[in-house]
Amino acid sequence: MMTSATHNKAKPGLWAGLFASNMAVIAVLFVTGAIEPPTPYILMVLNAVLLVPVIRTGKRLQAERGAMTRAVARYNRRFLSFAAIYSVAMMGSALAADRMEWTPPAMWLLAVVPMIPAFGMIWAIMQYLREETDEYLRHRAVNSAVVGLGFVLVLGTGWGFLETFGLVPHIWAWWVFPAWAIGLGVGMAWPERSAGDAA
Amino acid sequence: MKNRLRVLRAEREWSQQDLADRLDVSRQSVNAIETGKYDPSLPLAFKIADIFGLAIEEIFLREVAEEAAE
Repeated sequence: MMTSATHNKAKPGLWAGLFASNMAVIAVLFVTGAIEPPTPYILMVLNAVLLVPVIRTGKRLQAERGAMTRAVARYNRRFLSFAAIYSVAMMGSALAADRMEWTPPAMWLLAVVPMIPAFGMIWAIMQYLREETDEYLRHRAVNSAVVGLGFVLVLGTGWGFLETFGLVPHIWAWWVFPAWAIGLGVGMAWPERSAGDAA
Repeated sequence: MKNRLRVLRAEREWSQQDLADRLDVSRQSVNAIETGKYDPSLPLAFKIADIFGLAIEEIFLREVAEEAAE
């Protein structure tokens, strides 16, 4: 029996697009000096709340497309949990660093606090690739991860050269994970080619 | 790679979900294989063949054989 996919279809792309465009606006404002720390961090953390509807509608779409497996369900739960912890940790650390004087060892602690849940999100993705028993879905996820990797390499290498010649300001290296995740998302959303072109 | 999955499924009156359940894969996988977007691994191809009680080459068609037949 066909599912009623045409009725009230889930649109995670809209939420993801909103999330990405907000991030881009925050990044531009930050790079141009229009906003100063901690404002960009707070805005980024608040923007991370949008990941909740991204994942919720994403789950609905996965179910509608017949792509919901036990590994996907576990991944969604883990990633969402780490993203929530990350949001709180990032906001807490950024505010604490801005408001108070900290000794160098305590500063290390503040830096590590958001790092752990961020590593958790990366771990959730790696676990998914290990646990997914559906070979087609795993194949798609691996291909998408490579798209994300390509995105990061192009952006990073390009930006690096522009920075070397003093054309753009320096940016912190943690941008690689959101950039990779955007590439991953684009790869997952991209429709597969039909017969003959499949890798 | 072209295949006869849709026809074989229709003969048995199975939906994509029915076949997916028998193969223990997602419906999206069955759809991707059926439409030629994804070529299954050899173990999965054998599993598909077993379910239909046919040989792999009776389900999946070699491009070379097709060209020769034309």
